[in-house]
Amino acid sequence: MIRLENIHKRFGELEVLKGIDCEVQQGEVVCLIGASGSGKSTLLRCVNGLETYEEGRLTIDGNLVDARSKDVRSLRTSVTMVFQRFNLFPHRTALENVTEGPIHVKGMARSEAIEMGHELLARMGLDAKAHTYPDSLSGGQQQRVAIARALAMQPRAILFDEPTSALDPELVGEVLEAMRGLADEGMTMLVVTHEMGFAREVSDRVLFMDQGRIVENGSAEQVLTNPQHERTQDFLRRVLER
Amino acid sequence: MNDFIEKSGDYLPILLNGVGITVSLTITALVIATLLGLVWALMRYSGIGPLVFISKTVVNTVRGIPILVQLFYIYFVLPEFGIDLSAFQAGAFGLGLAYSCYMAENFRAGLEAIDKGQIEAAHSIGMGWPLMMRRVILPQAVRTVLPPYGNTMIMLLKDTSQASVITVAELTMKGKLLAASTFDNMTVYTLVAVMYLVLSVPLLVLSGYLERRFGKK
Repeated sequence: MIRLENIHKRFGELEVLKGIDCEVQQGEVVCLIGASGSGKSTLLRCVNGLETYEEGRLTIDGNLVDARSKDVRSLRTSVTMVFQRFNLFPHRTALENVTEGPIHVKGMARSEAIEMGHELLARMGLDAKAHTYPDSLSGGQQQRVAIARALAMQPRAILFDEPTSALDPELVGEVLEAMRGLADEGMTMLVVTHEMGFAREVSDRVLFMDQGRIVENGSAEQVLTNPQHERTQDFLRRVLER
Repeated sequence: MNDFIEKSGDYLPILLNGVGITVSLTITALVIATLLGLVWALMRYSGIGPLVFISKTVVNTVRGIPILVQLFYIYFVLPEFGIDLSAFQAGAFGLGLAYSCYMAENFRAGLEAIDKGQIEAAHSIGMGWPLMMRRVILPQAVRTVLPPYGNTMIMLLKDTSQASVITVAELTMKGKLLAASTFDNMTVYTLVAVMYLVLSVPLLVLSGYLERRFGKK
């Protein structure tokens, strides 16, 4: 469904993606792991058209993703994103954050959008907070609202950019639980994460990135317990020792 | 003191006539300044090369020329190019243009204070630039912009007195004429000063109201 072929991305002199090839199938949960600076987030942002890439071909359901073209907007409604720092709209309530896209981007009727918004918030265990502004929500709650906002676009896939990295440790569980729920329902997910437990239990496949390349690509079992590449072994040792 | 009150009674109708012109000049110039200022700020914020260049050039040029000189230019020089404005029109346009550049800088500060994550979030749900500005960026920028906006409104009110140099018969001009004909400088200029002060009160109230209104999300 999401296909990357030989993607190269440079920031000036620095080449952050050095030829990425990978594919995410419909209904698959793929975790992207690796040290910071390895290019994971950049890769994710390319898929959402938030970053341009210089070389290669990136397609979603066969449609080319090009951050500079107008079509990128409709692609973004089919593959949406959840951010590390939530990025909720602070001047809108939880419910309004969720209904913003359906009403104003997709042109859904207000009553219908509100009904769906309540349903999605309830699914995230947050319907009681529908009329609360983001600054009165905990980080975990904000991130769950952000997930509901992404779901409200009825996307074909959701990209998660380190969704639990900005959270206090005791709030990580509730967000991972919500993501696990989505995975169980068959949502296609590409997740940049440092949560090895989540990667192991939930993902169908794990990709390990190092210095702009995917050096390992296999089932969670394969990559996390029996890594072939020295870099992966190093990384996992450091992460698991923490 | 009795003398002051008695004379004030005589002067008041003339000065109030000037107040009317000062108020309409302030409002007209404020509307022009706000709309144009928004245009300059959005051009600059768009990040599109030529638009940024035009906006920067206009703002820096206009900011660098005294308002008095701009008014002279618009009133006395533009007619030579076939643009013949009345004194009031020239004053309103001149002040509006000059203040649009101060406004633009206020607006820009408000726009740039918004976290880049907001832009990404708006993009990630498929918003285009106009929708994002209207629904996400501007409503948040308004909150940061209002306090300096209120300040600029009051500066504009007082700067309308500069239009007297191009014969706009606003409050300061009326005061000057009255003082010259009565030699009663003290009463006249005291009244003029008090009137400006009184005029600034509604602006203070308005900006306070707007801050509360938009501060509440």
